[in-house]
Amino acid sequence: MLPLFYFQDKVMGNMSPTVQVEGQVGRVVLSGQFDFSAHREFRQVCETLIADPAVKEVLVDFQNVNYLDSSALGMLLLLKEKIGAVNKSLALVNCRDTVKQVLEIACFGKIFTIR
Amino acid sequence: MRILVVDDTEAVLLLISRFVEALGHVAIPARDGGEAIRVWREARPDLVLMDMMMPVVSGPEAAATIKSEAGETWVPIVFVTGIGEESRLAEAIEQGADDYINKPVNLRVLEAKLKAFQRTLELNRKVREQSAKLADYYARAEEEKRVVQHLMEQMVNAERLSDAQLEYWLSPAESLSGDMIAAARTPGQVLHLMLADGIGHGLTAALNVLPLTQPFYSMTEKGYAIPDILIEMSKKVRQVLPVGRFVAVVLIAIDEAGGCVEVWNGGMPTVLAAGDDGQVCHRWRSRHLPLGITPTQDIDVRTERYYFAAPGSVVVYSDGLTEARRGDGQSFGIDRLLEVLQQPVPARLGALQGALEGHMAGAAHHDDISLVLAHFGARLRKTVEPAGGASFDLAAFLGNAELAWRYGLQLGAAELKYINTVPFMMSFVNEIDALAAHQSDVFLMLSELFANALDHGLLHLDPALKQQADGMERYLAARQAGLAALESGSIDIELAGLRADGRDVLRVRVRDSGTGFDRPRTAGQPGTGLALVQALCEQLIFPGSGNEAIAYYSLNPLPVTA
Repeated sequence: MLPLFYFQDKVMGNMSPTVQVEGQVGRVVLSGQFDFSAHREFRQVCETLIADPAVKEVLVDFQNVNYLDSSALGMLLLLKEKIGAVNKSLALVNCRDTVKQVLEIACFGKIFTIR
Repeated sequence: MRILVVDDTEAVLLLISRFVEALGHVAIPARDGGEAIRVWREARPDLVLMDMMMPVVSGPEAAATIKSEAGETWVPIVFVTGIGEESRLAEAIEQGADDYINKPVNLRVLEAKLKAFQRTLELNRKVREQSAKLADYYARAEEEKRVVQHLMEQMVNAERLSDAQLEYWLSPAESLSGDMIAAARTPGQVLHLMLADGIGHGLTAALNVLPLTQPFYSMTEKGYAIPDILIEMSKKVRQVLPVGRFVAVVLIAIDEAGGCVEVWNGGMPTVLAAGDDGQVCHRWRSRHLPLGITPTQDIDVRTERYYFAAPGSVVVYSDGLTEARRGDGQSFGIDRLLEVLQQPVPARLGALQGALEGHMAGAAHHDDISLVLAHFGARLRKTVEPAGGASFDLAAFLGNAELAWRYGLQLGAAELKYINTVPFMMSFVNEIDALAAHQSDVFLMLSELFANALDHGLLHLDPALKQQADGMERYLAARQAGLAALESGSIDIELAGLRADGRDVLRVRVRDSGTGFDRPRTAGQPGTGLALVQALCEQLIFPGSGNEAIAYYSLNPLPVTA
């Protein structure tokens, strides 16, 4: 049987992030493959949360992400920088094993809250 | 539009020309096929409205010429046909005419057709402009790539990668690799190896790894250790890369003489040490963030050491290898790599390439792939022949010798804490012509004599500690603690060139402010640092209370390189 992500890649195409705001928490829900092709959309949704004065905490939700590459790590670093500049907090949540492994190899636990 | 109107009947020519002009176009008249071709060559109209049956050169013949001369430019040709010309019309359209309109000309239809052609011409013009622009971009990108590729090749220095101790494989996903492999040796013959993986791939990834090469090569050549090189690399990367860009790096030092592999892994896959039997005997997991993320002063440059007792290979690779995914989504994975290690050492790289090829089954890998196998333990200690071969009378030489040059240095306790003395002096050694061929020996003598003065003269470390199991780690920890606590004391180092009868001798003097030892330390245990110095030089003496060492090293004849 083919792995699930194969079908997601082929059928769903590249991820398109969605945003949910509940009170002070803004959640960016990613799905599919998080790589350079998600660059523009990811930046756009993050900017809406950064600009929203009601949002104090941004969560990047990896629930439906099956793969991320080094460009994705770069995007997270950029986001961290921007969030820090407006004094909001940031956390990476719902990381599956494959995602967790990549974050671990890059030692991102040292500079990101991961839960 | 500028429209070439061709007809041998004056009335029709006039009618169509007037009508076309009434629609706001420019009409250029011609009365037969031959004239049509001449006018076309001069005026280059946008569209041709042409009668089929004409004297001299017929419509279809003129059309074929115009089409072939127009080349890439699209010039729509519309035939104006009378009854009975259908068979020729089909042929003409097959040969490249674009449309036709029946005689007598219905002006309403002609107007509609001209409008349609104008729209298509406009579209055509835009596409051509864009494709010209694209071609420009493409050419420029190719040129940039060519330049960067050249730069990379220069900086990576494949020459040094052809080291007998190394096997490597680099397969970029695009023409430029974001993975970089570099290797160089310190003056003391420690092999330094770097594998770096820049974020993404292609041009920007390649640019990310470029800043690493210069500190890697120049500092390795001067004899700096991995932590010092890392700090410099981090500074460079922080200086040139924007936020969000970083480079995962593994730095490895293989010291054959010391029997030690030292690794710093920042964001790369786990580095393995595998014995010749294929068993993994040590793992270096990524313990640090890639370079470029944290400010340099916050970087933890501590390395992890592995002391080997049997020969084997260090296996280091980029994630492009294990993540190489074929059509059905299957990754190459770590297990296949471990399997390859079961092969005998010389067959491992080939087996791995074969395994990956088999796995990918013709599909292209999406990320740069690199792998290095660095072998260790082949010779457990550098064997050194006594210098000079036929020895000469050193005492007589010293009686006649005059001082050609002298270079001295004194470091106090505070300076000893932060100055990496031996590499610092090596930059001088490299400048003296007479010493150039002896760099490696001079580095070894300086390192050993300096370590002797610092470790035993000033820090009173117990040399016996090194001989115990895991003693080396404790020894290094004790040295670090001792150095941090050091408040007084100094070390004097002096290099001097002595010359007599066309012979050159280097004198290396190292003196510490410690109390020394009672009995002359004429020779260390076999295999220790001082024994190595003794083997390298003509004479090693410890005058006074034992806090001073003087080595005389013959600069001619040249040493036989191993």
